[in-house]
Amino acid sequence: MPVDNTGDTPAMEFAGLFKQFGDTIAVDHIDLCVPRGSFFGLVGPNGAGKTTSLSMAVGLLRPDGGTVRIFGQDVWADPVAAKALIGVLPDGMALPDRLTGREVLLYLGLLRGMPREVVTERSDELLRVLELDHAESTAVVDYSTGMRKKITLATALLHNPRLLLLDEPFEAVDPVSAATIRTILQRFVASGGSVVFSSHVMALVERLCDQVAVIAKGKVLASGPLAEVRGEQSLEDAFVHIVGARTGGTEGLAWLAS
Amino acid sequence: MARILIEMRAAIMRRSASGKRAIGGLVLALIVTALAVSTLLAGLVHYHYRGAGAAVVATLSFGWLVGWVSGPLLIGDDSTLRMDYFKLLPIPPRKLARAMLGAAFANVSLVFSLIAFSAVIALGAQSGAAAALIGVVAVLLELVLAVVASTVAIAVFGPVISSRRGRDFGTVLVALVITLLSLASGLVPLVAKRLTDGHSPALSDVVEILPSGWGAVAVDAAGRSDWGLTVRSLSGLVILIAVLVLIWPPLLARRLTMSARGGRTRARRAAGHAARNPILPSTPFGAVLGKELRLYSRSVLRSVMLMIAFLVGVMVAVIPALTGKDMVLPWGGLLFTVIAAACFTNFYGDDGTALWLTLVVPGAARADVRGRIWAWFLVVGPAGLLLTVVLTAVSGQTWAWPWVLAGEPAMVIGCAGLLALLGVLSVNGPAPDGGPAPMRVLKVHIALIALPVIVLFPAAALLLAGQAGHSTPLKWLAVPAGLAWAALLCWWSARAAERRLTTHAPEIFAKARV
Repeated sequence: MPVDNTGDTPAMEFAGLFKQFGDTIAVDHIDLCVPRGSFFGLVGPNGAGKTTSLSMAVGLLRPDGGTVRIFGQDVWADPVAAKALIGVLPDGMALPDRLTGREVLLYLGLLRGMPREVVTERSDELLRVLELDHAESTAVVDYSTGMRKKITLATALLHNPRLLLLDEPFEAVDPVSAATIRTILQRFVASGGSVVFSSHVMALVERLCDQVAVIAKGKVLASGPLAEVRGEQSLEDAFVHIVGARTGGTEGLAWLAS
Repeated sequence: MARILIEMRAAIMRRSASGKRAIGGLVLALIVTALAVSTLLAGLVHYHYRGAGAAVVATLSFGWLVGWVSGPLLIGDDSTLRMDYFKLLPIPPRKLARAMLGAAFANVSLVFSLIAFSAVIALGAQSGAAAALIGVVAVLLELVLAVVASTVAIAVFGPVISSRRGRDFGTVLVALVITLLSLASGLVPLVAKRLTDGHSPALSDVVEILPSGWGAVAVDAAGRSDWGLTVRSLSGLVILIAVLVLIWPPLLARRLTMSARGGRTRARRAAGHAARNPILPSTPFGAVLGKELRLYSRSVLRSVMLMIAFLVGVMVAVIPALTGKDMVLPWGGLLFTVIAAACFTNFYGDDGTALWLTLVVPGAARADVRGRIWAWFLVVGPAGLLLTVVLTAVSGQTWAWPWVLAGEPAMVIGCAGLLALLGVLSVNGPAPDGGPAPMRVLKVHIALIALPVIVLFPAAALLLAGQAGHSTPLKWLAVPAGLAWAALLCWWSARAAERRLTTHAPEIFAKARV
């Protein structure tokens, strides 16, 4: 099936997505629709199944059931077509860490079959915009956590994908860089791209996203336009309410600062 | 406070002494006991050459002292009582220094060392009760020296070792030590002979001048009633210990207030220029080949494996040649190639989670498999062939030419393909501490035998047939036959690896990230 450039095909669609590790059901028959052109936030407590879902969406983890479609292309039936459309920033994964940032980008660009001049030109810009150009001769192994996030984001942007799937893109990134990344992502969406990102920071999701899904214990508890999901309250209050969690910290510790 | 530290260390050791580690510890304890007892026996032996006993015991004591100083450094900054634990506590450095030094004496290794150092008493007992008594004093001093020197060494080198650069260096050092130890069977008799027949007085002087030899010297002097030398030697030990104890608190204070951040990897400046003037093709295959070649030159794990392959290959061939046995010399290159192949049977597992990059790029499998095959071939092939040709030529063993020429090129070509296939079929992710997992090590040992058998059996059959039938043409036929089989093997296994990586990438990735 050719990529649908005009119609209403969602940027990403989960249908009955299911994954089990031993006795634990990590993702429990999730249905989710990310409209094209949306800035989509995926929120949920630790261990909710966000990373597992995203891994299945990008081809890193084979689902036990269900389908993932990227612009109508089935990720697991036709991985080549689907993978060409996405840029991925996974959380907590290594890079070939004895290479410099520029070498990682050159390697990936060429591996994707891009012309060398284009890769070089885009790498220059990405490194400059993400302020990694001062670490030109530093291997990725010596990067700080924030720098690693930024170079991984650069690998996700390099081939100008139609959909970005980002797992915790702002974690450990300094405020200035975070602002840069926000601007880049907002520009990307404004020019027709789609972004899905997971985060623990509700304020950030509230500020950036027009669509949001709340995942807990492998299920989608709420999904849709931000205004609908949060209603009259803040997203943080709505989240605690939806997930049914109780905020602790009020009992015990009487000796502390007494 | 020393007691709290000892309890804390004991608790940590109890936690970590489970299952496989306990068995490993037991094996280690057995080996160390064996070494300690043999050291003691070396002190009991009566040597024909006068003074040989002192030289031998001094040499062995040197070995034990080196073990004390380097052991914690090789294993890492004392992993049970890390100094970082104490950085934030409001304890005066002097008090902490005393406590840590005290806690250092609660060490099981002292038992083994006591057995080993008792060789000095045994040596003294050969000359009489007075010398034996001097031996007891010397042993006690040497034990104290061992503990104090070890503690101080951690404070001096600890920061270097705990930085990443330092750990890299430590890894190389461990590999080097293990390699040399495995080759020691060839070297030890040589050194022992030199020491005991008194043909190398320079060697004896060196081991006796070092502090580790002072105990043996004191006892030897007491045996000859040279009391001046005895007193000088023992006082030397006391002064050395005193100096170390005095410099320990300021060293600890410095250590507690410094950052463990080490040097950075500087990828060569030229990298940017190379990117603009490429030698490698600007294709997916060129990208993988370029990345792999860079990793071979920069990754510590890879450099260490290549270094071990080279050292063992060359030294196993060269050491017998030193004593006139040239038969083994031509095989050095082939041995290097086999070890280099066995060490790289985990192409994809060694990537760890970095493998995700290959998975998210559509259709990268073919380029990835071929790039890795060519990179290994280019790194190992020329070196193996050069070693083979040079060592065979130097050895003058003309009969060996058809054997090594049928073996070496076939081995490189055949293994290049098989490594890719093995890499996708058996994936061992890195161990939690970042080192190689036990199964990966086992795989290396199996591959050491299996790879040459699979790759070389057609060539070997022809060579053996030629040898049996005294047919030189048959032997030379093994060269093209070996090459043809290896090429077929390489082509087939590369295709199979490619198919497997295409269809099973997520499963391979799942195993690599464990």
